[in-house]
Amino acid sequence: MALSETLEESEISDDLEQTSLSDQLTFEKIGLSKLETRSLRAWYGKNEAIKRINLQVPEKQITAVIGPSGCGKSTFLRCLNRMHEITPGARTEGEVILDGSNIYEPTVDPVTIRRRVGMVFQKPNPFPTMSVYDNVVAGLKLNGVRDKDRLNQALEKSLKLSFLWDEVKDRLKESGAGLSGGQQQRLCIARALAVEPEVILMDEPCSALDPTATAKIEQMMVELKKGYTIVIVTHNMQQAARVSDNTAFLYLGELIEFGLTEMIFENPKQELTERYITGKFG
Amino acid sequence: MARLMDMGLEKLTKTVLQMAELSEKSVATSIEGYSEGKNLSEQIYEWSEELRKLQEEVSDLAIELFARYQPVASDLRYIKACMEISYGFSRFGRYAYDIAEVLQMFGDLSECDHALVEKTAITTKEMIRKSIDAFSKRDVELAKSVRQMDDIVDNNYREHVSKMIREPKLDIKCVASTTLILRYLERIADHASYIGDSVIFIATRKHAGA
Repeated sequence: MALSETLEESEISDDLEQTSLSDQLTFEKIGLSKLETRSLRAWYGKNEAIKRINLQVPEKQITAVIGPSGCGKSTFLRCLNRMHEITPGARTEGEVILDGSNIYEPTVDPVTIRRRVGMVFQKPNPFPTMSVYDNVVAGLKLNGVRDKDRLNQALEKSLKLSFLWDEVKDRLKESGAGLSGGQQQRLCIARALAVEPEVILMDEPCSALDPTATAKIEQMMVELKKGYTIVIVTHNMQQAARVSDNTAFLYLGELIEFGLTEMIFENPKQELTERYITGKFG
Repeated sequence: MARLMDMGLEKLTKTVLQMAELSEKSVATSIEGYSEGKNLSEQIYEWSEELRKLQEEVSDLAIELFARYQPVASDLRYIKACMEISYGFSRFGRYAYDIAEVLQMFGDLSECDHALVEKTAITTKEMIRKSIDAFSKRDVELAKSVRQMDDIVDNNYREHVSKMIREPKLDIKCVASTTLILRYLERIADHASYIGDSVIFIATRKHAGA
């Protein structure tokens, strides 16, 4: 679907100045989209947390989602791999198109989607009783992979991609819980990578980390985008500005503005975005 | 509630306005010196140096604001514009000194016709005043009007040069000194226009002419 067509369907509130998405992003700049939401809505019980969001996530780029606490960033992210529906009372409406197919079609297995669209959470959550090795290959084993060579190859590849191999290659049998916070988070990223996803969703992946560990993850993300599409939710605007190619600003469940990161942070079109990123909010 | 960065931005604005006042005084004094045949280059040099130091202060403050607060959007544009505007004001000071130096270099110019320089200086000083007012009031229309006046100064300079070429027998001392001063005024007018452009950028998020 053409970008302009998606725009016509956009239902950003009337009181906001309508901005043509095609003004902000061009095909030349963003390339093809990997993931797309069409009129996506999400609820917790009666509370509508996401309100008809239309967004195209470009392939092999980093897209950041920013906004104040409670604006629906994490909910939006969890809709992209059908994790939202796990929460009791939660439901979604609309479409999430992954490579041309709606992941919410009744025939689609959510487990398959969660393998294709991996997730990294705010707090590093390695399996505490497992070794570094077992943590990384857990997903593969769960999918029935038993071949030792294949597991070893996946282990080394994932740990290298997550910039962790050199630090743990001699400690593979030690507990994953014994690693530092930053290492644990990179272990979780390695675990997500081992099952060879196409998209990686990151929900505040550095909020519990110090600046050095954060810098490593950010460098790793920029390397990872060569092969993966990444969506990151962050409340750290400087982080969004540093790592992402495109930025979406959400407020009260609505997509207020989406554009190239440099444009959002230098010259946003919407007054609301301007006020939020300059800290003049509230 | 005021943001921490606001204190720094306020200081930035104050310093730029301090530069505005001093640079305007420098240009006015240099023209006065030319008209009245007074050598004021020492005084104007001091002001020009002060302006240079104030411009460094603006740059240092801008860098501190970048380092401390990572400004974005309107804050980022404002700081960028202040750096450009302060450069403009420091150039006013330098050209004012160059004008004062003309008298020092050529000596007595009382026999020369001052009319064209004085006429051009009136327009240039008005452009400076308008650019300062546009900055302090963030007045886009006023800022636009600065650039509209630039042609008057440009034409005066060009016409003088054409006349000089057409009439080679004119007094070389008068012709050369007038040419130099008109050229400095023309450069000041350009910088006043750039300041107007920066004000437009701050207020509208758009570069002039975009």
